[in-house]
Amino acid sequence: MLSDLLARLEEKDRLALARLLTLISRGEQLPEISSAIGTRNETTPVVAITGNAGVGKSTLVGKLAEYLRGEDKSVAILACDPESPLTGGALLGDRIRMPSRPDDAGLFIRSLAAASGHQAVAEHVDLMIRLLAKFGFDVILLETVGAGQGDTAVRELADVVVLLVQPESGDELQWEKAGLLEVADVVVVHKADLAGAEKTEGQVKELLSLPGSREIAVLRVSSRTGQGFEALWEAVMAAPRRGTTLDGRQLLRLAQQLLADRYRSRGAAAGPIIDRWKAHQLDESQAAEQLLDLLVR
Amino acid sequence: MNEQAPLRIVLAKVGLDGHDRGVKVVSRALRDAGFHVIYPGLWQAPEAVVRTVGDEDADWLGISLLSGTHLTLVPRIIDLLKAAGLDHVGVLVGGIIPEADIPKLHEMGVSRVFGPGTPMTDIITYLRSEGSRTHA
Ligand SMILES: Nc1nc2c(ncn2[C@@H]2O[C@H](COP(=O)(O)OP(=O)(O)O)[C@@H](O)[C@H]2O)c(=O)[nH]1
Ligand SMILES: [Mg+2]
Repeated sequence: MLSDLLARLEEKDRLALARLLTLISRGEQLPEISSAIGTRNETTPVVAITGNAGVGKSTLVGKLAEYLRGEDKSVAILACDPESPLTGGALLGDRIRMPSRPDDAGLFIRSLAAASGHQAVAEHVDLMIRLLAKFGFDVILLETVGAGQGDTAVRELADVVVLLVQPESGDELQWEKAGLLEVADVVVVHKADLAGAEKTEGQVKELLSLPGSREIAVLRVSSRTGQGFEALWEAVMAAPRRGTTLDGRQLLRLAQQLLADRYRSRGAAAGPIIDRWKAHQLDESQAAEQLLDLLVR
Repeated sequence: MNEQAPLRIVLAKVGLDGHDRGVKVVSRALRDAGFHVIYPGLWQAPEAVVRTVGDEDADWLGISLLSGTHLTLVPRIIDLLKAAGLDHVGVLVGGIIPEADIPKLHEMGVSRVFGPGTPMTDIITYLRSEGSRTHA
């Protein structure tokens, strides 16, 4: 079954790609899929688009994809929306804002639910990215759930992180400050058709000009008018690549995911350990060691 | 590994009428019942719907349309699904469908027709009992 899917993947079968993404998102057969895909080819840029809900991430991702199609680059989009913590259900509506190009083999869009909690993107996205790169897409765009949660994970997954802010008051910008400095490689003042965009651009630049901060491009873009997309792509390509893939972190992430999956499927066996920890018969680090032993066994 | 993975359902509003209140209500109710609902927006062309179903690897497609278009648009979508290798996807139709046309839709391959005012629990119970043919 899996070997059949992987063979079809080699023949650029889109449905096989879609099915493999489903398997990955469910945490099924990860080691097998991972070893079949191999390491990521470093030439495919992975660009994360982050920013608060409503700032226009989906719209901008859609317009950027259209711009890139115009440049004859094929594009895969992974669009994340939050999952309900209570029911596990999700309303995945990012496609509403994205172009519909049913005859265009060079655009692929997949909606993903990100588990609630501190997740900015769906689980196992790193493996999905490697799969899409292997399939042959020229650019991979990753829309996050929002800024401020799980930013570090996004930074590890993407080569370039684009943070969107919108024209707003300086007070709110202060709030963005930590995120701006830590996550972004490019800052976009989005909805530049609205009043106050220039002022916001100035404020962001000021924040970023603090001594010791990295060189970060700041530019105004409007998805409504189409202003700024060429400059945006130039800035993305000019940003130093993080080169995230070929180090131990990729393996560590996979190992962490495997552990989490095992905990989910055989968590019941951990009951006695948890009980003894609750009863103070084990301290936390002893209990954690025993849990680890149980899961790797 | 993950037996109760949520069912993925694409809810498409096909054709030219501009109301999506009904679809939105159904979307939210299904989300609250634990489904993953993919909503691609208004005015979807049949080709776009089928592309979405394929890329999203959906278990179900719910089509909402105006009466009068169902006997042309539904078979068109079902033919396109077949041509795309997606005949494992279950198809539901929602909208005001004349009683006499419902057997015709079933014959075309529609699993169920839900008229306006169908209690959400009926739809939810139906989907849960049918499960997924995509991930059988
Ligand atoms: N004025 C203006 N509004 C925009 C622009 N881009 C998106 N929007 C609007 O912003 C709202 C949120 O957009 P969306 O892409 O869903 O944001 P997301 O939640 O960050 O993905 C929608 O109502 C869009 O129409 C823009 O360039 N200018
Ligand atoms: Mg969005």
